[in-house]
Parts: sequence; structure tokens; C-alpha cells
Amino acid sequence: MTLQVATPEVGTPQDSRAAEGRSGWLVVAEQESRDLWTSGRGLILLFLFSILLSAVTYLTSTNQALNFLEQRESVNLVLQLAVAVGVLVTLVVSADGISGERERGTLESLLVTPVSRRSIIAGKLIAALTMWFATFLITIPYVWVLARGVGILGQALALGFFVGTLVAVGLGSIGLLISGLCNSNKTSIAASLFLLLILFAPTQLPSGLPQGWFFDVLRRANPVDSALAYVSSMLVNGHSWTQDLSYLITPLLTAIIAGGALVVAGPRLLRLMPGVSAG
Amino acid sequence: MTSMTVEAVRLTKNYGGRSAVEDVSFTASQGEIVGLLGPNGAGKTTTIRLLTTVLSPSGGEFWIAGHPSTSANEIRRCVGVLPESGGYPAHQTGDEYLRFFARLYGLSRSKARSLAADLLALVGLEKRAGSTISTYSRGMRQRLGIARALVNDPVVVFLDEPTLGLDPAGQAQVLDIIRTIAKSRAATVVLSTHLLPEVEKVCSKVVILNHGRVAVAGSVGEVISTALIEQSAHLRVPLDLVERARNVLAGFPNLTVDQLAEQPDVLTLAVDGAGTGGGSSDVMNAALAAITAANIPVLRFELEGARLSDAFFKMTSRAVA
Repeated sequence: MTLQVATPEVGTPQDSRAAEGRSGWLVVAEQESRDLWTSGRGLILLFLFSILLSAVTYLTSTNQALNFLEQRESVNLVLQLAVAVGVLVTLVVSADGISGERERGTLESLLVTPVSRRSIIAGKLIAALTMWFATFLITIPYVWVLARGVGILGQALALGFFVGTLVAVGLGSIGLLISGLCNSNKTSIAASLFLLLILFAPTQLPSGLPQGWFFDVLRRANPVDSALAYVSSMLVNGHSWTQDLSYLITPLLTAIIAGGALVVAGPRLLRLMPGVSAG
Repeated sequence: MTSMTVEAVRLTKNYGGRSAVEDVSFTASQGEIVGLLGPNGAGKTTTIRLLTTVLSPSGGEFWIAGHPSTSANEIRRCVGVLPESGGYPAHQTGDEYLRFFARLYGLSRSKARSLAADLLALVGLEKRAGSTISTYSRGMRQRLGIARALVNDPVVVFLDEPTLGLDPAGQAQVLDIIRTIAKSRAATVVLSTHLLPEVEKVCSKVVILNHGRVAVAGSVGEVISTALIEQSAHLRVPLDLVERARNVLAGFPNLTVDQLAEQPDVLTLAVDGAGTGGGSSDVMNAALAAITAANIPVLRFELEGARLSDAFFKMTSRAVA
């Protein structure tokens, strides 16, 4: 079949086309992050988090009647709180990433741009991760206050950042996968929160999980519980960073598997659902 | 010389056992405005989504600006789309929104800024460039959506119900912009709409879909004649010449002439029996020629059944039956 071809007169310049492939994810990430922060959603969540963190820090550092924690344990508590909240908000934002766009009717416009589906998903994941990074930034002064005098400030911050990022990448990827699979945004967010509840529940038991090999396997199979156990082992028990590395296997695998699944299946998940106002 | 920019050949989309679009074929050329018509659920939106690579076809093939359906990325570079009921980020400004999409097409920040300003001016939103989209009226949002569809200077622009929910002034504004896109940018516009009189005015070609299939395609005139609609006409002549006009028309044996009781200066003409389509038009033309030849001033001559809406209803109801 022969066709007379009309080419765009202006269109996209050749040089910028090459740049497009490289930076499409960056443009998406930038805009998604701006939307997240300028719309007020991110700021409100951070404001609430900082109030919570202030209260916890105040109680653990000044109130002698309530403060029964050692200084190291206080730092550990604040870091665990930061990871928990940071991962929670990252998961909520990523769970809204695809299903929310579908519901708001903004996905189709994105899909007809030449930016690849993978770049769009990568941009959305990065934007969701800014929630974790901001949560961590807010935590730094609190950790600084609590870690004074015990010489673990650098260690605590590096550890919290590394472990939190690992868990946030894993759960953020899972959130986007759930969002791509769900027809409705409410279902996506509810499913993601339910997952988070399951993962965090063991960490909230008053004395942790009972002892024994079965519960040890259970703890190590849970990416959140095992990541927090690693933080505790270093900060509270004073173990070296290599001593309990096995605790990081699950968080690492979660990040790799969920991230890999997102790379492989993401483009197929980033689609309109059948029957969406097709006339 | 115009060139073919859209060619769809037996395009089919199935969802499970249900066929949303079946064997849809049509073409469009540069600078042409093609009306994609059909009742709700006829397959208009699905056809647009197929041609813009949002959906993958179950069968058939298509070319956009010479790019085959398998070259999705190339097609996306040369099409602009206003989706049906597309949403907008409420907290972004119109300017910010267009700059974002311009950058998705690889434009630098400065080029994106200047392009956004140009496009906002084109759609008459330059004064609201810095306002958040949440403050825009529906018409303004539709115009912003059209501006967004133009950020890559597309060869083909697909507009899915751009006038939906707009008041008459808003509809007229949008139709003016559509004309401008086709004329000054030489882009092909595929327009899905329910505004049949407007389609008749702006579209050079029409594709009527029904139940996922092309009921008829061609120029407005061809579609109307294909529909084979029985024609009648209203002829107004000076009251004192009505009898003379009746006598002239009596020379046409297959033409029934009646006088309206409430308007005695108006004669209704109807072609008898199966006199339809081209044959019907011939009789009407001959009758009108005879009236003018008899020096009877024609104050009004209005054909019924010769409008696109008549053809539309005929074609879509026939397929149902």
C-alpha cells in the first residue's frame, strides 16, 4: 500500500526526540512531584507527621516520668516511626498513581504522548518516593536531638535512609502494581493499606513476635518487620552492619521483585480499563 | 496537493466475545475535517482510541501520516487528541499544563513556555494562562484540551466530543478553532460529535458508525443521497400567484402539490411513490426550474429530508431494524 505522507511541519525537533527517550521519566517525575507538593496533599501529610514526631521526641527526651527508654532506643523508635510513616505515605501516593489518573480522566492524555509507558511509571514511582525522602528530611533534626551524646547520629541517619529507601521502593512498586490492576481508586488504596496493615501488625505487638524458628522465619519473610529488626540490631544492640545482613534479604528481594514486575508488567497495566466511556 | 493522512482498513476491536468496532474503513486527507458520527455506543471513541494507539486493534490495520499501526511511537508523535470527558489537574494553571505536555514531546523549557503562550492565545485563553484550571469554565477547559492536542503540531487531530456540554456560544467558539486548525495548520481533524448541523457546516467528509460498523461514509452530499431519503419541499410564492404555480406544477404527474391551510402562500411538494434520492431530486429540480421559467418569484424553497440529520437518523435506524 502506498500513501502520500504528510510530515509534521514543526513537530518535535530531531535532537529533542533523542532527549525525549532519556528524560520523559524525569519530566513526569518533576510534574507529578510538583502536583503532589503544590496541591497540598504532601504538605498536609508531612505537617501531621512532624506533629506526631515532635510529640514522640518530646516525650522520649524530656519527660522523665514517661521516658523509660535508653537514648539509643529513642533514636530507634523515631527512625522506625519515620520508616513506617514514610512507607505509608509512599504506598498511598503510589496506589493512587494509575487508578487515580484513570478515575480523573487524565490517563488517556498521557498515553497518547510519545513518552514510553515505562517512563511514565518510573516518573510516578519517583514522585511517590519523594514522600519518603521528605519524611526522612523532617526526621533528621529529631534524630539529631535524640542522638546527641551517644555518637550514633551518622550511623542512624545512614541506616534509616538506606533501609527506609529499600522498603519504600519495594512497597511503592507494589502500590503501583495494585493501582494498575484495580478498576477503582478506592479499591487500590484500600488494598494497599490492608497490605501495609498486615506487614506492620507484627511490629506493633507489645513484645514483638514470640520466640522460635517459626516466628523468626515469619519476621524475616516480612520486608517491613525484617528491615526494622535490622535497624534495631544495629542501633539498640550495637551489632555491626554485617552481623545481621540476612534481615535485609527480604526487603531487598521485595524491592527487586516488585520493581522488576513493575518494569515488565507496568506497560500493560498502564491502560484504560475496558468499557471506560467508549462511545 | 493534498495527501492522505488517515487510512483505516477493516479496523476491528473485540472485548471478549463482544465486538466494539468491526471492519471500520475510511480515509482522510490533509486539511480535511472528517465528522465521525453515530449514536452512543456506536464505536466512535473506540475508533479514535484505536487510531491514536491507546487501544490495540483485534484486526485490520491503519496508517497515520504514513506510519503503520505497528509504529505506535511514531504515530503518537504526529497525532493530537482531545479525549472524550478528559479530566484536567484542577490545581495546575493552563500555562503549566501545556508546558508539561510540550516537554513530554521533548521541547526545552524555554520552547515549551513560548509554545504554551502561543497555543493559549490561539484558543483565546491568554488572559487566563496563570489561573488554575479549577477556575475554568467547561468551555475553557475544552479549549485548553484542544490547545494541548496541538502541542506537537500534529498532522492529525482527533477531537472526541469537543462540544459536549457547551452552550451555543461555546460550541461556536470550539467550531471556529476547529476550522482554524484545519485551514491554517493544514491538519486533518477527525471530529466526533452529536452536533449534526455543525458537522454539516464544517466537515468535508462524514463517517456514520452504527453498532461498531460504518453505516455510510463520504461527503455530506454523498451521505445524504446514499441514505435515499424521500424528499418533500416547501415552496413559498406570492399569494396572488399560487394558483398559477399550482397549474405549472400540475405538469409533473408524479408530484403531489398541496396548499398549507395556515399558510396559503406555501405549497408543499412531495414526490410520489418510490421517487427517492437522485430521482426525487431530479423531479424537485425540474419543478423549481418550471416555476422560475414561468416568471413566478420564489420567495422560499426549502427541501425536507435533505439534511445530514435526516440521513443520520435514516442510516442509524435502518441498521437497527
